[in-house]
Amino acid sequence: MESHEHDQDHDEQHIHPEPTSFIRKYIFSMDHKVIAKQFIWLGLSFLFLGGTMAMMIRWQLANPGVPFPIIGKWVFAGSNGIVSPAAYTSLFTMHGTIMIFFAITPIMIGGYGNFCIPLMIGARDMVFPTLNMLSFWAQFTSSCVLVASFFVPMGAAAAGWTSYATLSTQLGTPGWGQTMWVIAIFLAGMSTIMGAVNYITTVIRLRAPGMTWFKMPLTVWGLWLTAILNALFVPVLGSAAILLFLDRTFGTHFFLAGAMVKGGGDPLLYQHLFWIFGHPEVYILILPAWGIISDILSFFARKPAYSYKVTALAMVAICVLSAVVYGHHMFVTSMSPLLGESFMVLTMIISVPACVLFLNWLHTIWQGRLRLTAPMLFSLGLVFVFGLGGLTGIYLADIPTDLYLHDTYFVVGHFHLTMAAAVFLGAFASIYFWFPKMFGRQFNHTWAKVHFWLSFIPINMVFCGMLVIGNAGMQRRLYNPNEYELFRHLHPLNVFISYSAFALYFGQIPFIINFFYSVFFGKKAEQNPWEVTTLEWTHASSPPVHHNYDVIPTVLNGPHEFSNPLVTDKDWLGQCEPLPSAAVVAEKKPAG
Amino acid sequence: MKRSRFKLATHAAYVSAFLTLIAASRVWADPPTTWGRPFDASLDGNKIDWLFKFTTIAIGILFVIMAAILIWATVMQRDTGGRKAQYEHGIGRKHLLLTALVSSIIFFGVDGTLLYSSFVDLTETFWKWPTAKDHPVEVEVYAQQWVWNFRLAGPDGKFNTPDDVVTINDLHLPVNTPVFVKIKSKDVIHSFYLPNMRIKQDAFPGSITQLWFEPTKPGQYVVGCAQHCGVSHYKMHGTMTVESQQEYERWLHDESTAAKRRFDQADSDAHWGWDWEI
Repeated sequence: MESHEHDQDHDEQHIHPEPTSFIRKYIFSMDHKVIAKQFIWLGLSFLFLGGTMAMMIRWQLANPGVPFPIIGKWVFAGSNGIVSPAAYTSLFTMHGTIMIFFAITPIMIGGYGNFCIPLMIGARDMVFPTLNMLSFWAQFTSSCVLVASFFVPMGAAAAGWTSYATLSTQLGTPGWGQTMWVIAIFLAGMSTIMGAVNYITTVIRLRAPGMTWFKMPLTVWGLWLTAILNALFVPVLGSAAILLFLDRTFGTHFFLAGAMVKGGGDPLLYQHLFWIFGHPEVYILILPAWGIISDILSFFARKPAYSYKVTALAMVAICVLSAVVYGHHMFVTSMSPLLGESFMVLTMIISVPACVLFLNWLHTIWQGRLRLTAPMLFSLGLVFVFGLGGLTGIYLADIPTDLYLHDTYFVVGHFHLTMAAAVFLGAFASIYFWFPKMFGRQFNHTWAKVHFWLSFIPINMVFCGMLVIGNAGMQRRLYNPNEYELFRHLHPLNVFISYSAFALYFGQIPFIINFFYSVFFGKKAEQNPWEVTTLEWTHASSPPVHHNYDVIPTVLNGPHEFSNPLVTDKDWLGQCEPLPSAAVVAEKKPAG
Repeated sequence: MKRSRFKLATHAAYVSAFLTLIAASRVWADPPTTWGRPFDASLDGNKIDWLFKFTTIAIGILFVIMAAILIWATVMQRDTGGRKAQYEHGIGRKHLLLTALVSSIIFFGVDGTLLYSSFVDLTETFWKWPTAKDHPVEVEVYAQQWVWNFRLAGPDGKFNTPDDVVTINDLHLPVNTPVFVKIKSKDVIHSFYLPNMRIKQDAFPGSITQLWFEPTKPGQYVVGCAQHCGVSHYKMHGTMTVESQQEYERWLHDESTAAKRRFDQADSDAHWGWDWEI
């Protein structure tokens, strides 16, 4: 679409007066910026909860049978503060569920999706503000159900975050906990779909005049593609959840089979449904971070994003491929050899667009003038850990090596590097980058950098340790690996991983203090403290007014006009700034 | 001011490194025998180990290149004022060709080699099931929370007959003979895992899966469960004893005689075996 046609296509957005009552302004708000903050507060709370649960898991693996310090005697009151086997299964189940559906999804998609999309494309709000509000409250309801499930008789869900049938049916996990897990997942899925519909439509309909597809920041590309994957694949998870719910509560046999139940269902059906969603899901989680750091790397290298269009198209290619590789999660389920080999080839093909992304990131910073701000450090850290995680994925894409590695800690190390460590660093890059815009205040830069090093070093220790221990054969989800004589000599390695994890956990203290202090007492932020090009920095105040822009700006340039030699007074050119007129003439001449 | 901030960040890096070194020292205090993959006692495990080696070298090289560029750019190309960054959008033909070239070299060189070797290994080894000509030992595995049940056919060569040798968490096999395993589960999904044979296979309620391997070194090896199967998943493991042909036959004969004596037609739960032929 050319920019001059765009005016007619651009939906008229009226300026609505700002609500004045507390409830309409802060609780049931329809303002995308407030909803973004609500999602981020919710997500950060669950990040803390999920992280604490990870510490309990690691405590048990490092010190089996030793009471958990300080809070153990309340949390594990029934077992004298010791993490019991039943508690352990609940812990790893809920840790995974919370981190994926209640921490990463709200922070990256609910939070930064909501905050960035309208601001970066030059819109006054999302296209469906009421739906946006409902999306948050569906997520909130889901969170309440999930938290409540800890307090029901027989405890919270315990069938793993994947909740494979038949373990996740009444046969393996009786009680209300697992049923509430299914309900919570369904509600969270509803929230995600509502958000996705909103994001997709907003990006299509509400771009500012001149904001063509290939002038959009890569952040918006990442979030938009994520929304498309969400709209397509979360419903599949919803269907799996419904069937599981029916099996659990109404005695149907969709997934039940075997001598115990004499059912005619198929437990493998659940795995197909789950992974048709589950594999796109890992890209759903990482795509926003990819988009965001593609921008941040360019912003702070003061250099245009290398092959911008190719980066955007590589992300599109990965989205398409993500839909057809899910079978690699099921290599040891005895699928047809032809199917298995096809999934292996398709999975390997993903390495092509992934390689392109990496080359573009490395080219972007190469010959740049890097400003090592906190968001930049976290973005560079993301490239590093994602490189490590992505490359180790090759072992798992390959069927013969997967026959050995499947369901070992190697898998845990690999997916934590890609979608936990990388998204974690990406989330903090986003938090620090948009902090001045979101709260109108500056955070303490020094402590933010301290936070980076306290996160980056231990996070690599933790997950690389897991790769090593998995390569040695140790399975995941073992309450006490020392039960196996074969793994007893690995105990020091487990201790190492655990203590590194504790270092990572306590390394977040500088962030928590810095964040809360700066939200309330930080120095007032300027409009464009980072000297970058995108609309929210060049045309909206910090924090933006209720309707974002008094006048919708007209976009002239791409989002990465840095170090243009024709611009002499500074090293950047905003998306709406014309090139100095003499230069425009000089540039147009050869073309004309 | 700027200088001291940089210093503080550097100190944080040191503190973080120091903390992790403390963690590391706990490992070095008690050096392990080996942290590699467990001893390979199978005929074909070396094929998987070869793929491991190739992949490690290939991704090792790629990772070192990536990390070197990342670190070099971060350290050497910091903004210290003065000149601007290179103004390069990277959309020229030569840039696109370079990206395409590097990606194809990696794809065909690394992924291509792996795909080719894997296809060969799968079709000629791991998924090439033993036939009657190979005279494999046939084993039925029945997984349940939280034990492995094994069934050998006994002298009559037929399953689910009174002379079947049925054991719990205790599998005996002769050395240098292919083993053909059929697996099913009673309740939830389990996964039959033999780290020393480099192989595993899920066990499903309601359907039968299979795998085969050939142990080449006598000894005792672990049979693990790799799929989360409930609270006592961590306790679900047994022993696989690989012994010489004579020892195995003597053991099978003794066990089979005892099994016939113990056989109880009325105990239907014990007759979980099923009849099959290669």
